[in-house]
Amino acid sequence: MSEYLYAYGVIENEEMEATIDGVEGATTAYTIDHRTLSAVVSDIDAMDPEQTDENARAHDDVLQTIMFWEGGRTVVPMRFGMTFKNARPLKNILRSGRRAFTRALRDMDGMVELGVKLLVDEDATIDRDAVRESTTEQLAAASEQEAHNDLFSDRLVVNRSYLVDREEQAAFEAAVDAITDEYSDTVTVQYTGPWAPYNFVDIEISSQ
Amino acid sequence: MFLLDDLLVRPFTSVLTVIQALAVEEIYDREAIRNDLKENRLLFEMGDRSRAEYERRQEELRTQLDVAEQVHETLSGKIQVKQ
Repeated sequence: MSEYLYAYGVIENEEMEATIDGVEGATTAYTIDHRTLSAVVSDIDAMDPEQTDENARAHDDVLQTIMFWEGGRTVVPMRFGMTFKNARPLKNILRSGRRAFTRALRDMDGMVELGVKLLVDEDATIDRDAVRESTTEQLAAASEQEAHNDLFSDRLVVNRSYLVDREEQAAFEAAVDAITDEYSDTVTVQYTGPWAPYNFVDIEISSQ
Repeated sequence: MFLLDDLLVRPFTSVLTVIQALAVEEIYDREAIRNDLKENRLLFEMGDRSRAEYERRQEELRTQLDVAEQVHETLSGKIQVKQ
């Protein structure tokens, strides 16, 4: 029995229904509207879905489905775990955040997020500042914005997210390839994405 | 298949429930455990750590994080009562 709504993200108003492998085993995603916005949701049994890899991946998979829906949609992603008792509180969020969501949808139009991590090989020694500087320079040219993420491991030299125009993705990948080749002796490059623009949208809405 | 490392631990677009900020002493460093969780996954994704080792370590860290979360919850509860 599905009592609650789990929200993945917000798009420009549009009726949508998709077959998905969603959070907590949901199989259908659909939209809840408020004026110019639609939230993409699925039904869920519990108010607090478990924070497992499987659920996190499902959350992201649904956002991917929306991003690449019929030629592509711009989506403002919700963080993992946004659950609502019914459509009313969710519509309230869309209403109180309408200005912020609308601006974010405009700013993110046609953009994807790409991730670049540089991990120094075990026992290798490198000039970290030099590598960072050169990477910044090469990737800035092919991207609109960059976000610096935590260096959560001692072996991480670079951990960044880039906002890239879908049209420019190939150019960005060429730059990543060049970096991978340049440092192949000492550094491993992890290139991920495209993601929904998690790191380039920052909206907080008070629920009370 | 990669996983965005911050997806589970950072508020991106979030609905902020207004909770009174409490200065709870960091006895259990949740941030450090979260970093270890992310490092574990990264090393696995990069092929530096076997699946078995990754899963064992993840289980261990998840348990640590649960304990730390519980401690923090209990502590903040106590302080709230005193106010």
